[in-house]
Amino acid sequence: MKFKAFLTDNGVSLLEKRFLPALDKMGRICHLYLTREHTIFLHNLLNGDGIQSIAQFRKEALFDDYRISSQNDDRIAFAIDLSLLHRALRSVITICAEFSGSHAGSGGASTTNRLQIKLVKKLPPHSQQPMPFLTFETKGYKSAVIQDVPISKPLSRSDVLELQAALDMAQDLPRTLVQVPDMNQLQNFVDRMKHVGDLINVSITKYGDLHLQISTTLITLGAEFRKLSVIGEQAEVPVGDRDLSAQSRTQRAIQRGDAMTVQVNVKHFAKSLQCHLAKPDCAFYGIGPQGACLTVIFQFFIPGTRQADKSISLHCRLPILDPGSN
Amino acid sequence: MSTSATEPEAADLVCQLDNVQGMVDALTSVRWKRHQDAVVELSEHGIVLIVEESRCLQAKVYLQRELFVRYGYSAQGRPRFGVSLGLFVDCLNTFSVPGHSSTIEIQYPGPDMQLLLKSLDSANACIYAEIRTRIPDMVSWDYNFEPAGSTPLSFTVKSSALKEAIDDLEWPGSSIQITLQPVPPSVTFRGDGHGNLQIDFKYYVNTDLLVAFHCDHQVSYRYKYKFLHATTSNIPASVIKDNRGSKLTIGRGGMLKVQHLVSVARPSISHSHVDSAGYQQPSRIAYIEFFVKPEEDEATGNDS
Repeated sequence: MKFKAFLTDNGVSLLEKRFLPALDKMGRICHLYLTREHTIFLHNLLNGDGIQSIAQFRKEALFDDYRISSQNDDRIAFAIDLSLLHRALRSVITICAEFSGSHAGSGGASTTNRLQIKLVKKLPPHSQQPMPFLTFETKGYKSAVIQDVPISKPLSRSDVLELQAALDMAQDLPRTLVQVPDMNQLQNFVDRMKHVGDLINVSITKYGDLHLQISTTLITLGAEFRKLSVIGEQAEVPVGDRDLSAQSRTQRAIQRGDAMTVQVNVKHFAKSLQCHLAKPDCAFYGIGPQGACLTVIFQFFIPGTRQADKSISLHCRLPILDPGSN
Repeated sequence: MSTSATEPEAADLVCQLDNVQGMVDALTSVRWKRHQDAVVELSEHGIVLIVEESRCLQAKVYLQRELFVRYGYSAQGRPRFGVSLGLFVDCLNTFSVPGHSSTIEIQYPGPDMQLLLKSLDSANACIYAEIRTRIPDMVSWDYNFEPAGSTPLSFTVKSSALKEAIDDLEWPGSSIQITLQPVPPSVTFRGDGHGNLQIDFKYYVNTDLLVAFHCDHQVSYRYKYKFLHATTSNIPASVIKDNRGSKLTIGRGGMLKVQHLVSVARPSISHSHVDSAGYQQPSRIAYIEFFVKPEEDEATGNDS
């Protein structure tokens, strides 16, 4: 089992500034799954009923000179603590920056202090048992700095298969997706809404409406966003519905089969909005087939264009507490 | 079932407010613990919200009709209803978008006697709320605050200084003695207990802190710390920032009245020249009043 690659500058900034802070909010521990073509960060796919998040990068998005081999079809997976990974990466970057600063005049510095990442087994201090680590290594002019991030034992063949199966299962797309108008504003709103209740009803219509509602015995608090862009199945708003209240409009859309409602934990919903720390260019919410989950898909554009960058993908699936009356 | 099913004309009150944060600030200032029941009283003059605790502390928030962009009142008499203060504030807070001035409409009653709120800012995004109300179970303690003598016993102190003084008085003990004396004109807060701490506001020494002072004879009363603390514990940041004065008056029997002013003005970026006196349109101010009963056990509460 071998893994060795060099992180590119772009890869470093993607991880350090954007993805690691966002993924850390999903949960400190995640699985890192490496294949011949992809690097994938996975939360809660094998265990737990928490929010699932899947961040997938094509190897070129993060690395160059990427080498992986294992007896399990060149696939390796292990659990890793994201805050430790983030810390190690940050510290390595500072050192890198210092080196390139001091070598600015001498030329060729950029090639000498490349950031290598690899899997190793080492004997930690005061221990008889070698432990696996993900190691970052920067070679400077005179010295090298090594950061070891402890990881779990690599997953067994059957666990990797299970992880792959769960990953395949998590790829089903909702039939209708609506675009979130303003992530920051929505996050702000949901953070305040959290004080009022624990469960949030999310309704999505084919007309491009996103309706959020918290309802307890003492209070009903909701927000409706209309005329959002829709991907997938869409429909025209029936004329008579335009002047109704948000609740009755959603009710009628559900009866007509033009909408779905699910109930999720408001904390999960708020967490899913934290992904905007990864600075996506847009986000879409949709309800999975048969109301199986609430999915949020983030899109990243190729810098300077409006074209989706296919090499990066991030989506979350929120477990459903009440499938609603769809 | 739907909110639009009620004719707004049938409601006792339909009003619109363009500064939700101001209202949140005003109501937060009387929120001294997590679960508090409030009574709301509507009239043609505005909305009054009352909270009280163990008949020793009462707070009132006055939101006069001038604070509202529109105030449509059509009830006979003065409708009253009970509501959970915490829920009301948390709910209003979701309508307040930082950096925007958000306009909301408040309506009472809804089809099921709810308090209805909705945002009016955008046609494509709407926030709405229905808050369950109760028949108020408390008859609010209607204390007739009367001046102690011919001249009122009162002083006005910068709000931040008052808050700081009361916060500092936490450690010595559970009751605080407030003394006003005319010569030299000064106010003393004193806490005795594990230790003692005395804070003096001397009129001639700190004219910038003690803005006004009226007192013709010495008085001294003791108040429970926790009640005194409640009068400033949640004073909104905007009040501390504007740093207008808070007015304290001692009435007959030692009843203490604490008044704060909370700005509910529409936040304007272009006209931010609030002058040194913190002058703002008087009509855009919410008045907050606290009434604190003195401790009766000892004979310290007396006029001399």
